[in-house]
Amino acid sequence: MEGKSYQRFPKVKIREMKDDFLKFELRDTDASMANALRRVMIAEVPTMAIDLVEIEVNSSVLNDEFIAHRLGLIPLTSDRAMSMRFSRDCDACDGDGQCEFCSVEFHLRAKCISDQTLDVTSKDLYTADHTVVPVDFSDPAADDSGDQRGIIIVKLRRGQELRLRAIARKGIGKDHAKWSPAATVTFMYEPDIRINEELMETLTPEEKRSWVESSPTKVFEFDEDTQQVYVCDAEAYTYDDEVIKKAEAMGKPGLVDITAKEDSFIFTVESTGAIKASQLVLNAIEILKQKLDAVRLSEDTEEADDQFGELGAHMRGG
Amino acid sequence: MPVHGDSSDRCNNDNTVPSSSIDKQFLAAPIKRAVDKYQLLPEFLKMRGLVKQHLDSFNYFVNTEIKKIVRANNRIVSSIDPSIYLRFKDIRIGEPSVTVDGVTENLVPQTCRLSDMTYAAPIKVDIEYIHGSHGHKIRSEKTDVFIGRMPIMLRSCRCVLYGKDEAELAKLGECPLDPGGYFIVKGTEKVLLIQEQLSKNRIIIDTDKKGNINASVTSSSETIRSKTVIQMEKEKLYLKLNVFSTKKIPIMIAIKAMGMESDQEVVQMLGRDPRYSALLLPSLENTMEFSTNRLVVKSFEMYVSISSSFIPCTELVIVCFNFKCAKEGIYTQEQALEYLLSKVKNFNCPSSEKDGKVIAIFKDVFLANVRVRGNNFRPKCMYVAVMIRRIMDAILNKDAMDDKDYVGNKRLELSGQLISLLFEHLFKSMITDVRRAVDHVLSHRSRSSRFDFSQLLVRPIITDGLERSLSTGNWDVKRFKMHRKGMTQVLARLSFIGTLGHMTRILPQFEKSRKVSGPRALQPSQWGMLCPCDTPEGEACGLVKNLALMTHVTTDEEEGPLITLCYALGVEDLAFLSGEELHAPDSFLVVLNGNILGKHRRPQAFASAIRTLRRTGKVGEFVSVFVNEKQRCVYIASDGGRVCRPLVIVDKGVSKVKEHHMKELADGVRTFDDFLREGLIEYLDIALYEKDVEPETTHLEIEPFTILGVCAGLIPYPHHNQSPRNTYQLCRMDTLLYLLVYPQRPLLTTRTIELVGYDKLGAGQNATVAVMSYSGYDIEDAIVLNKASLDRGFGRCIVMNRLSAINQKYENNTQDRIIRPDREGSDAARMQVLDDDGIAAPGEIIRPNDIYINKQSPKVTKGPPRTRLTDSDYKPSYQTFKGAEGELCVVDKVALYSDKTNNLCIKFLIRHTRRPEVGDKFSSRHGQKGVCGTIVPQEDFPFTERGICPDLIMNPHGFPSRMTVGKMIELIGGKAGVSCGRFHYGSAFGEPSGHADKVEDISKTLVEKGFSYNGKDFIYSGITGCPLQAYIFMGPIYYQKLKHMVLDKMHARGSGPRVMLTRQPTEGKARNGGLRVGEMERDCLIAHGASMLIFERLMVSSDPFEVQVCRVCGLLGYYNHKLKTGVCSSCKNGANISTMKLPYACKLLIQELQSMNIVPRLKLAEA
Repeated sequence: MEGKSYQRFPKVKIREMKDDFLKFELRDTDASMANALRRVMIAEVPTMAIDLVEIEVNSSVLNDEFIAHRLGLIPLTSDRAMSMRFSRDCDACDGDGQCEFCSVEFHLRAKCISDQTLDVTSKDLYTADHTVVPVDFSDPAADDSGDQRGIIIVKLRRGQELRLRAIARKGIGKDHAKWSPAATVTFMYEPDIRINEELMETLTPEEKRSWVESSPTKVFEFDEDTQQVYVCDAEAYTYDDEVIKKAEAMGKPGLVDITAKEDSFIFTVESTGAIKASQLVLNAIEILKQKLDAVRLSEDTEEADDQFGELGAHMRGG
Repeated sequence: MPVHGDSSDRCNNDNTVPSSSIDKQFLAAPIKRAVDKYQLLPEFLKMRGLVKQHLDSFNYFVNTEIKKIVRANNRIVSSIDPSIYLRFKDIRIGEPSVTVDGVTENLVPQTCRLSDMTYAAPIKVDIEYIHGSHGHKIRSEKTDVFIGRMPIMLRSCRCVLYGKDEAELAKLGECPLDPGGYFIVKGTEKVLLIQEQLSKNRIIIDTDKKGNINASVTSSSETIRSKTVIQMEKEKLYLKLNVFSTKKIPIMIAIKAMGMESDQEVVQMLGRDPRYSALLLPSLENTMEFSTNRLVVKSFEMYVSISSSFIPCTELVIVCFNFKCAKEGIYTQEQALEYLLSKVKNFNCPSSEKDGKVIAIFKDVFLANVRVRGNNFRPKCMYVAVMIRRIMDAILNKDAMDDKDYVGNKRLELSGQLISLLFEHLFKSMITDVRRAVDHVLSHRSRSSRFDFSQLLVRPIITDGLERSLSTGNWDVKRFKMHRKGMTQVLARLSFIGTLGHMTRILPQFEKSRKVSGPRALQPSQWGMLCPCDTPEGEACGLVKNLALMTHVTTDEEEGPLITLCYALGVEDLAFLSGEELHAPDSFLVVLNGNILGKHRRPQAFASAIRTLRRTGKVGEFVSVFVNEKQRCVYIASDGGRVCRPLVIVDKGVSKVKEHHMKELADGVRTFDDFLREGLIEYLDIALYEKDVEPETTHLEIEPFTILGVCAGLIPYPHHNQSPRNTYQLCRMDTLLYLLVYPQRPLLTTRTIELVGYDKLGAGQNATVAVMSYSGYDIEDAIVLNKASLDRGFGRCIVMNRLSAINQKYENNTQDRIIRPDREGSDAARMQVLDDDGIAAPGEIIRPNDIYINKQSPKVTKGPPRTRLTDSDYKPSYQTFKGAEGELCVVDKVALYSDKTNNLCIKFLIRHTRRPEVGDKFSSRHGQKGVCGTIVPQEDFPFTERGICPDLIMNPHGFPSRMTVGKMIELIGGKAGVSCGRFHYGSAFGEPSGHADKVEDISKTLVEKGFSYNGKDFIYSGITGCPLQAYIFMGPIYYQKLKHMVLDKMHARGSGPRVMLTRQPTEGKARNGGLRVGEMERDCLIAHGASMLIFERLMVSSDPFEVQVCRVCGLLGYYNHKLKTGVCSSCKNGANISTMKLPYACKLLIQELQSMNIVPRLKLAEA
């Protein structure tokens, strides 16, 4: 066991970055690493979400639980979440989750007095803490005509009223999906496409064209001028084997050779808006590190058995 | 395919053109262009609604039938003084209202539902009657006399909801999508199911168990219902009528009794075919003496041969008829009548004369549908002759047998008819009741008292009778020998479709227990009328049916004008025809609703004339004409209860509905009625696509998917599924969930879904399904759910429960009281949900054992009236909520109302929101149900490169054996739908007409959007991050949550309640019962030798009991507590008593046996 180090130094290359979208390459590591990162992003990066709702007046058509559930699913900006406490281990409030260290209070008051239906949206939620507010998706570049009004909670008719107090708490996606900051986290192996040029030359232009078209996604392109087939977008390949089957059907097996590069991944991360996509990745790495630290620190201790069970014993060489 | 009465007009579709001639004709045919006739359907449904059959029938009853009933029974005449009478001049039904304490208030359905009232309207009559005192009589009139209350069908013409628009409906608290067609009786919604019946007044030929051929007619007239059977047994014909004590009456006697004394006439009436006469011979012999020699028979045969060869030879005939002397000595009408009189059972007949009795039977009971004027029985004899002819046809040619299961021989009895039956019965009962009361008054009349007839009319018979029948579903109409149970059912409100499906359900005429396959089999004649898929599983399979989408059930139509019309169109009247002429080879009998009108020489011309009149709207659109070549009859039908459906008329191979018509329809210039009026569409009881139209085709189907019912229409691509799967799905339909939190519209819809409005009231969600095996918790149809999907609201549903409490009033003038809750005392914690008024407040969270109404009852409720009760006179009688532990319920609504006896009633609606858990049941729309096997967090779920993660994983083993290809198409169709943003369609048989997307097109869309054409995706494992070896079939499928939820079924108990009688633990979840170690479990334990376990289970933990047994006599004694010893009551001492343990049930058995004079003795031995 000793001696040889399997340590690798993964590289990250960012391809595209927006507030809620991130595409990056992760190289020089294996699937376990990539998947761990993905899983942490989905399930363990903390955010804020409404967890407790006290309804004072609800004369809307939706019932209390329904509204509470809808409120819970509204993403709140949670840049502060990493530094906040979980209310279950908050000392300041004995875990009742009502103090400033672990919770944020919201108020909602809406009443429809006109004949038109009133849309109660996430923008009607008021809080004293400006760092934790419902995510605003409206594009600042677009004109602020006010027709984009946040996430609809309920619609009120004349005379209906909704008045409530809500408390947002820190949590993780493992407990409830509302705390998951990730809308989509996915990765793919980078495909390695090698066209057998010799064999390709034996095809007529028509055959080449039909072969190129056999792929449902636009991976290959046929250059009309040079009469050559080349790979235009390797990542568009969905591992569907269609081109390989087509080549076989044409009687040219081995026309193309596609393998997945086992150590490079292309990640796509979309955030719900609770935290920036880039921050999501960073937080995920941070949390992953903490988890690994916990493993490392307890490597030889007795608590390891409590904490990690068999895994701890395994790590101690048992 | 059998051709019969109501499948009229379908004349020549069964013989297709010989193939050689096709080409020529095809080329000669005019160029056809397919017209999209689909638009006719929404138009049709707009005009008709989905439950029109019920509404029509009820409206008909209320507007027409009820008046007829009253007209037929319009006099109440005192039997003591016939000059005292009451006459009903008119009857009508008012607005739905209720009268409480003399105040009449208008009723709205919603209030009836909430306050357990009956939605009914007063029945009012106009009367003319004699009243007066001191012997001088005055005739006076009264209008609007109340005689009872009639439950009103919702949305019928008497309902307040009739003709209201959406906003008005909402104001009345009604859902605009609710179809109506049901009643509200004592607060529950009751559907009067459609009843299937064998058609009335028609000759049905079939065989009985012994293989004898029967011709039966179930007659029904305004006054009487009867069944007449003519049977061929051992070559002889008999009449069966249940007023005669002997089962069988020789037919010739019956004919003679009707005045047709000459055998010759009888033979002539059968027509001159010698085969018929030969078959009749044995029956004629019946009236001949056997001892008479062969000569008679011989001469008779001669007569037959002579008459058939057209040579009149009267002399010989006379000779042979003179020779014959009847076996029973019956030659004349008088003799026949006398003979029959001896056979008559107790038959109440108004005329007490001897002869009159039998004559009356023949007039009123025997073939009651054939009317007799005076004493001219000729029409009945003719009818009998036709019956006999049909029997003989059946003997000569088995094809002539009628199929009882044939839809044309069935009539559907709808709510209107059923109510009218009941009403008629009750009305007549009321009349007899009133007559009796009048007689009573008249016979004990003190001269001074005034006598007022109209006062006696107010009786509860009608109101109570109608309400009772509707609420219990028992139709006990002795008058019509009708004892049917389960006619009404509580309306299924689990889902919108369930409700609709319930309204189109047809109840069978047979009992479910009968082991016959015939009535259960799918009849070809059901095509387009009854849904081929929608039938329950199990014992009622195939018997309970459902109407198809476009089916219409007819109501009765006036016969009078039709009869006149027929005669005008050249029908020769029966009265002027001899038997000979009637069956002449070139003529056809004309039969209207089972009555023979006469004959016609050119049947086809006659039929097409009526058809033309119908198409021009001169004759009702539901009148059906049909020429039966085999029976040489033209059948015309206008009676109620026939099933029919609209079809496009094709004239010489060209559809009458053209493109410009459809355009006008789309522009709203034309309605469905216009199509009918202009003769483009007609109702029929049967070619499919326009391209298939051949010159012989007479009609064109509007849309093929209309052969399915409302429920079956919801299944996408049902024609790709194995047919039982569709049926299973439909059984599931009505077991839908209670209230889904986030209902969605199915991505893959059908035209039917749009037509019935299911897209507005969905009952499921589009779940992204991955067909793969995962975790092992998905075997045996279990499914794996994504936890994040559940968190986000997938499958979340609300269950509503209703609790009620009554603030009872007692006879001693006291009543219950509801008091302010005690906020401090020991019960304070349980009274948290209570408001200050002592009733639970809406919006409060209610836990098990919480008190939801703080009620107190007076301790003394009987005896003399009491006033001024103090607190100590009351005892608490609060009610506690009995929900399952750990269930978080909320009081949703609290309603207060007063019931019939003016007690205050309080109804609580308790709501519980549930998220799916392991064990909850889900189903797709293809009869594939599955329970949730496990719930897995999202990060462990597989994902694609695009980031799609399924909501649900289904095991691929669900497909091969079930062959639900439709589900696969739904999956890829749904996938294409979400990727291109258009709802895809999957209507049954819709591919050629464009109402279903083809797989080819779907695949094209998928490829365009970058998916594989076959719907499979490349997937990574969420646990390892490595790609899976196979491509996974993945896409959205519409899933529904079913009502079977673990929370409702989960049950266990330690100690708990016991049954009084046996002292054993109770049974069932509702009674907190134990789980039984049954016979088989016991056997298993015996096999293991686990005797102590058996002892413990069957005795110690069940019903242990200590008994005193006398060692001498072996009987059970008792324990005397004073003497502190056991005593044997038969030995009268306590010397030889042993104490032992027994199961209480055993002791009970011993005592029960003793009570039956059996002495079980216990012999004790030392152990």
